[in-house]
Amino acid sequence: MPVNILMVDDQPGKLLSYEAILSPLGENLLKANSGRDALEMLLKTDIAVVLMDVSMPDIDGFQLADMIREHPRFQKTAIIFISAVHLTDVDRIKGYERGAVDYISVPVIPELLRAKVTVFAELYRKTQQLEKLNRELEERVAERTEELRESESQFRSLANSIPQLAWMANPDGSIFWYNQRWYDYTGTTFEQVKGWGWGLVHHPDHLQEVERKFRHCIKTGEPWEDTFPLRGADDNYRWFLSRALPIHDVNGKIVRWFGTNTDITERKLAEAALVKSERLAAMGRLAGIIAHEINNPLEAISNAFFLLRDHPSLDEEARYYSKLAEEELARVAHITKQTLSFYRESQQPVAVSLAEVLENVIELQSRKLQLSGITVEKRVYTRGVVQGYPVELKQVFLNLIANAIQAMPEGGRLRIRLGQSSDRRSGREGVRVSIYDTGTGILPEHAKRIFEPFFSTKDTKGTGLGLWISKGIVQKYEGTIRFRSIRNGHVRATCFSVFIPALSTAETPEVKAALVA
Amino acid sequence: MTNRRRVILCVDDETNPLVLRKLVLEKAGYEVITARSGNEALQVTGSRPVDLVLSDYLMPGMTGAELAQHLKAKNPNLPVILISGVNDIPPGANVADAFLSKVEGPDALGKQIAAVFERNRGPQASSANC
Repeated sequence: MPVNILMVDDQPGKLLSYEAILSPLGENLLKANSGRDALEMLLKTDIAVVLMDVSMPDIDGFQLADMIREHPRFQKTAIIFISAVHLTDVDRIKGYERGAVDYISVPVIPELLRAKVTVFAELYRKTQQLEKLNRELEERVAERTEELRESESQFRSLANSIPQLAWMANPDGSIFWYNQRWYDYTGTTFEQVKGWGWGLVHHPDHLQEVERKFRHCIKTGEPWEDTFPLRGADDNYRWFLSRALPIHDVNGKIVRWFGTNTDITERKLAEAALVKSERLAAMGRLAGIIAHEINNPLEAISNAFFLLRDHPSLDEEARYYSKLAEEELARVAHITKQTLSFYRESQQPVAVSLAEVLENVIELQSRKLQLSGITVEKRVYTRGVVQGYPVELKQVFLNLIANAIQAMPEGGRLRIRLGQSSDRRSGREGVRVSIYDTGTGILPEHAKRIFEPFFSTKDTKGTGLGLWISKGIVQKYEGTIRFRSIRNGHVRATCFSVFIPALSTAETPEVKAALVA
Repeated sequence: MTNRRRVILCVDDETNPLVLRKLVLEKAGYEVITARSGNEALQVTGSRPVDLVLSDYLMPGMTGAELAQHLKAKNPNLPVILISGVNDIPPGANVADAFLSKVEGPDALGKQIAAVFERNRGPQASSANC
């Protein structure tokens, strides 16, 4: 790329001779015959090198150099002085101070002039190229920055739209960013939970262990996984499955940790309910096996006693023993029959008599009732037949009656009422079972939570799932389960009422069959 | 002519239960022959007449239900009662005339057999009268 060379001299002849000398270089040669002209041209075009006579009539070369240098644009423009007069070193120094870069003395040696101009022309060219490259580099950086900002904003939208809580930590484990869900769930601010501040929303029972495991993974670089409760903005805890993965740079060093917390509360509830129902099913299968194994010898023994009845060789005493044994054996048979039928769930809905269910349940609890000194009053006004599954219906009333018994450790009254009814709200016809006890009662602050899963007022046993499961079952039948509790000084009573819609309570053949069983 | 005693074939793979059941049925007035397996039972019914077959359900080899199916295929008029320790009526057992639980006890057994004979009165009654 040719650059512009400006030649300044008041004598046109000299200009022509310079032109002749420099034309082989192939650069653009511009001529000015006065300082004024020279300045004008400098302002109009980009000049690489100025070739200037030191002594010109209208302006001193040095002064011109000063003026040129004053413009910030021309700070680096190469100025070569051509001097006819012999210059002392002092003069030269003066010239350099004024911004000259070189001197050529007259007579001008063409090769010398060419060589010097070339050097500065090259320098100028290289500088231009460098500046161009720089500009291009800056453009590219701007582009990249924009791309990065774009991708960051995409990342942020993504991170804020996933249902999980997400966060990022430094290699040392201190967290420097949380997604919006984290803040929404915990109701915290960045200031509160940045770094290691997240302990704030952890359950005190779990925090120590969580931190220990996390720190271990930070140290070893292995992926982190843990399950623990986190407190929400409503002060309730929910369970989260949490994971974090390290992010490495090209050299394999950890530069960041990316982590998520997934709410698994629903899953945990479902699992607990499943475990419970599986246990019930397993008990059912076991009960079936045991009952069957027992039933065979049971029959044989029953037959033997049958044969002993009125056997001539027995005297009165022996007959008496035989009779007692036969009676106890009948009880054993009854128990195995009860146990087996209790756990056997049918495949299809069948006619279930709630009167029978209640009787079964009470019988099963008869020992506990006796030991606790609880009197049982039954008011059964109907067979209470509903279409459904016997075992789960038994489960509901077993749960309610067991709760009532637990509430009366020192004794009391258990009143059970079964009758036809209609639901107050829906107006549907159906069957209502009321289970009334004179036990400890339910505190008002517990009242709104007793149907919640994992909520228990019993401090030792109990999964806290009984009422939640019972309610779920009753709702499956489109029924309702409600309770009232009085704690007024010495008067304490609780009544649970279960309503199950039933199309008709007439005694159909299915009903009769259910009763005979 | 007095009615001859009805003959019951009692099938069970276990000895004591089989023996005791036979004794109970004899006390109730029936003549009882026994078989220890389904195959044996088929041999017996093939070689002499019986009035009712009372078989255990759960037996090694042929189950009581399978035996009932074979018997009914040969002679649909021969009453078959299945008795078992399980309370559910197992699949395939409804070819039998009745299904009894062992838990019900000897009195119930007697009643159930009488009831089945009562239901099947027709052909037997005419053959028994001489």
